[in-house]
Amino acid sequence: MQSTEDTNSAMIKASSGLRGAFSFGGATGPLIGLILLCAFLSIATDSFLSFRNFLNILDQITVLGIMAVGMTFVILIAGIDLSVGSVLALSMMVLGFLNVEAELPMAISIGGALVASALVGVVAGLLITEFKVPPFIATLAMMSIARGLANMITNGSQIIGFPAWFNMGAIIRHGGVLTTTVAVMLVVFVVALLFQRYREGGRMLYAIGGNPEVARLAGINVKRATVLTYTACAALSGLAGVLLAARLDAVQPSSGVAYELDAIAAVVIGGTSLAGGTGGVGGTIIGVLIIGVLRNGLNLLSVSPFLQAVIIGLVIVLAVAAETFKHRNK
Amino acid sequence: MKTAFKSMIAAAALVAAAGTASAEGVGIKKIGLAVPNLQADFFNQIKLGVEGYAGKLGIEVIVVDAKNDTATQVSQVQDLLTQGIDAFIYIPAGAAAAAVPTRLARAEGIPVINVDREPEGAPGDTVIYGENVLSAYQVCDHIIGLAEGKGKMVVIHGQKGTTPEVQRFEGCKMAIDENPGVELVAQQWSQQWSPDEGFQIAQNMLQANPDISIIFGQADGLAMGAAKAVEVAGLADQIVVGGYDGDGAALESLVACDTPFIVTATQSTQAMGVLAVNSAIAVANDASVPARQIPNAVLTTCDDAAKFVEKHP
Repeated sequence: MQSTEDTNSAMIKASSGLRGAFSFGGATGPLIGLILLCAFLSIATDSFLSFRNFLNILDQITVLGIMAVGMTFVILIAGIDLSVGSVLALSMMVLGFLNVEAELPMAISIGGALVASALVGVVAGLLITEFKVPPFIATLAMMSIARGLANMITNGSQIIGFPAWFNMGAIIRHGGVLTTTVAVMLVVFVVALLFQRYREGGRMLYAIGGNPEVARLAGINVKRATVLTYTACAALSGLAGVLLAARLDAVQPSSGVAYELDAIAAVVIGGTSLAGGTGGVGGTIIGVLIIGVLRNGLNLLSVSPFLQAVIIGLVIVLAVAAETFKHRNK
Repeated sequence: MKTAFKSMIAAAALVAAAGTASAEGVGIKKIGLAVPNLQADFFNQIKLGVEGYAGKLGIEVIVVDAKNDTATQVSQVQDLLTQGIDAFIYIPAGAAAAAVPTRLARAEGIPVINVDREPEGAPGDTVIYGENVLSAYQVCDHIIGLAEGKGKMVVIHGQKGTTPEVQRFEGCKMAIDENPGVELVAQQWSQQWSPDEGFQIAQNMLQANPDISIIFGQADGLAMGAAKAVEVAGLADQIVVGGYDGDGAALESLVACDTPFIVTATQSTQAMGVLAVNSAIAVANDASVPARQIPNAVLTTCDDAAKFVEKHP
């Protein structure tokens, strides 16, 4: 056990340098896992380790990455949001309806999509704070409602016919590196990291997740912060929907089924505790990368689709078990 | 059809010239196959057709399964292209049939062979899909005939807006319109074409209209689910159920012939896989292929299901 503790403290020391800039609190394990995974795939396939493939992975994690940031905040306050996949679909359908059917400019359409998404979050937040509905149930209800609304917009059909530049935003790599959609994701990451680290609101989330009653007594408006957190999470899901619409150049109400589970998995793999109060966006980014690299790598290895599902499940179990094991040793 | 025949000859000639198991000679070594959902027997059959035939030619096939999610499929196609595939067989996932994978492959200059569905605005080099309208007409005509051309009918649709969903209803509607005694009392759309959806939808329909006598499920899964609901409701004597696709499980059920599900249209899925590989070879060698290749589906009843169970077309 002695040696394990030594490794742990070495890990903590190694990560303290990173902490100065961005908090990777609790995410050193996942980070090591990610590095090992990349090393393995670099050896196992000749197509993994290339700049182009790295850019592909960034493309592929855009939607999950942005949703997982919102999910992190919700889980930090010991909540859960099951509605994000449906909110993503609602956002896409509102965008498609406003831009293609109602022929409004893209800026207004995107605004409309984000407002519609945020409203779902507001309702979920109010259900939780004012009506004392447990977050699991409140967002489960919103999941169903948002999916139904998304379907009602076109009676279940898809919408295509966005302006050509919209899809180009997800395809053209500016300077050979960044697509507009990936750039948006990176901006979301940086803003979220800075918010969590340096803004009072960011610190508040940890306090609420740790103990809402103590947070309230300490003068934090817990209700307001909770509603805002669910609103932010829903708005980020809406933003992810806009980017997905750009990537697919089409919208359909059946998009994003079970994405909430991917988002939760990314957050958990990244070391944020479902009990709230510990973890953060830094870990989630690593969790998102692990899922993205894993899916990409398994495809490159031509692993059978059925086996892929098994492996991804095993990784989730491993990540959480490793984290639990680490805590027990402490 | 003439051009189709030509391209087949061309491909066959190339294959013959190449001899056995020499991929060099056919011009492609690696085919990427993007499938919406391998849980559906229909797509699985196509995959088996592609793999079996390509294997004989010594061509490697990489299969990716999008689990019905368009975004996943776009990512998977990026990964296929990273692996340097020489041809891309694309079965779009979801109703939106995203054009993006086709554009990505086009940017690499790779032949794109669409199967089952084709994205609007971004056609591949050819599209291969089962004939839907006429075959659906035959299925509906058969079940309406068994009900003596009259009675209440319901339709359980596939995923709304997909080509097969639209065309199969078009064909079935023709049969309904020919029989003024048949009244279409309800129709409902499923998301996944799956048996559990068929069961639930049929159960609700039977609740609302216990005097239904004809059910058309747009896929065998839906039809078999519906047939089960009919049995549960104890209405097996008064209702006939028709399906579509000729899935393995469905054909076996027809051989046994002990449920209200008594007819389907068997698609030539394995042949479609072979056709896709041949088309890919032809395009890679600059031979012309027709824009559309449409193999027929065969009306299959309890009497003639056995031969398809033995060897799926």
